[in-house]
Amino acid sequence: MIEAEGLTKTFVVHKKAPGLMGSVRSLFVREKVEKHAVRAVSFRVDEGEIVGLVGANGAGKTTLVKMLAGIIHPTSGEARVLGYRPWERNNEFRSRIALIMGQKAQLWWDLPAADGFLLLKEIYRIPDADYRTRLAELVRMLEVEKELNVQVRRLSLGERMKMELIATLLHQPRVVYLDEPTIGLDLTAQRAIRDFLLAYRERHRPAMILTSHYMEDIERLCERIMIIREGEIVYDGQLADVKRTYATHKIITAHLRREDGGFEVSEDLLARGAVLSEEEGTLRYEVPREEVTQAAAAVLENCGVYDLSIDEMDIGTIIERIFKGRGE
Amino acid sequence: MSPRLFFQIVSLEARTKFSYRVDFWVNAVLSFGVELMVAFYLWTAIFEASGSTSIGGRDIQQTILYYVTVLLVGRFAGGRDFEGTVQSDIYEGGLNRYLVLPFAYRPYKYAQSLGKLVPVVVQVILFGAIAIPLLGLASQVHLTFASVAMTLAAMLVANLLFFLMQFPLQVTAFWADNVWSLLVAQRLLGQIFGGLMLPLSVFPGWGQRLLEVLPWRFFFDFPARVLLGEIGVREWGLGMLLAIGWCGVFAAIGQAIWKRGLHQYTGIGI
Repeated sequence: MIEAEGLTKTFVVHKKAPGLMGSVRSLFVREKVEKHAVRAVSFRVDEGEIVGLVGANGAGKTTLVKMLAGIIHPTSGEARVLGYRPWERNNEFRSRIALIMGQKAQLWWDLPAADGFLLLKEIYRIPDADYRTRLAELVRMLEVEKELNVQVRRLSLGERMKMELIATLLHQPRVVYLDEPTIGLDLTAQRAIRDFLLAYRERHRPAMILTSHYMEDIERLCERIMIIREGEIVYDGQLADVKRTYATHKIITAHLRREDGGFEVSEDLLARGAVLSEEEGTLRYEVPREEVTQAAAAVLENCGVYDLSIDEMDIGTIIERIFKGRGE
Repeated sequence: MSPRLFFQIVSLEARTKFSYRVDFWVNAVLSFGVELMVAFYLWTAIFEASGSTSIGGRDIQQTILYYVTVLLVGRFAGGRDFEGTVQSDIYEGGLNRYLVLPFAYRPYKYAQSLGKLVPVVVQVILFGAIAIPLLGLASQVHLTFASVAMTLAAMLVANLLFFLMQFPLQVTAFWADNVWSLLVAQRLLGQIFGGLMLPLSVFPGWGQRLLEVLPWRFFFDFPARVLLGEIGVREWGLGMLLAIGWCGVFAAIGQAIWKRGLHQYTGIGI
């Protein structure tokens, strides 16, 4: 459904020296700088997949999504979405994709969402009966019956996002791009949106690409992730494999008997791993996977432990390390 | 874009504009009222100071009636709510939202600008019904079915021409982030050479002949004179053909710049 081959986007940006003199000089001379936002990215997403696109701010996630949605032209490379080149903006193509941008409202601010939906019905030429069925289904799934006739600007952020989702999915797109769909939402609203997206995927099987800074979105929704760093995809695979590939360490958490929490970290412990924190009687200790048994025994022997657990590193920490280039 | 969708966008925008009640009344009362008062006292003073009974072939009553008419019909071409909307879509990235929808952006924006005009129509009718009798000009207005129909057609073409002339200027925002200066320059040219600031009949003969073929007079002078019965059917027909020709020219320019600009578009943010 989505195929990208060597997709590259380079922006030319103007650089301006700071201060008033810099501003005056920029009236006459401007320094141009090339910014490589996406570098030779290749991948494929199939029907029914939700792929998480994760990366730090400025890594190139949104640029990649914009190219695949046909908003911007690539500098080089090729992409086919549903068989179309996105940036040619064929109407047939645009009738079968959708883009949700969590940071940008797409509905008409001063009107009830219901009015906006009617306009979208016309834009996508949805037959009356289909429109009624789809709207009823989406409204029921997202539980927003009472808010349909309220001006969009008077809705809460969570309600507004639900309305945006309805607006985006009314035409039953085969490809959906979700750019930070839960940004700024409270935990309840985030959960509701995630549950909805999973249920929608089960019913309609679109291909979805999701960008989010919330690891819970990624863990809950995506089986596969692509990690993008400085415009390059540095990992593309199953989320579970990230842990196997990059989680070379485990975390030992030991609750100590001594109330003051103070204890001697032996040479042996230091040699095996690194103490992450030691506060209020709790020691967090990171050790290589193959050393974990001996390290746990050493902690039990040296530290007067009344409870101990051994955990995988959380996915957020692993990905953060990959962002920073420490995961290879 | 289907006519049904086009009119639905017009209706949606009109409803949005009507939801701003304060804006509606402030525009209806203050904006019209102030402009009319300025014109009334300015032209009265000019006539008194010059001591002449006629300027540009019009006496004081006719000049004021011309100005009121220009003020009213000019609102249709003014499109103040449209000014800057394409530019800000490009500058702020709002264009992203439209580029993924299966329709053409320019007709959508035009439908929006027509929708924003609906409250203006109501304002013009309200204000015209009050101002013309109040200034004692009612006896000079001789409306016929034909003059009203010809004026409506002229105003619609004026509105389309204004939109098509603004569009290429606004899409230069793909290259120059801020194009307000261009829009202001365009508005000023329209007001000076279109007949809003002063009747075109005060220009010298060669200037009037030149302005006859340029596009600006179709914003104000042409529809106002059609309504006042100063333009016959033949002249109206030729004027309409010329205005439609200008629409074609600016539509082609706008399309070429738009297509090129989209290659430049960054969609804001990386």
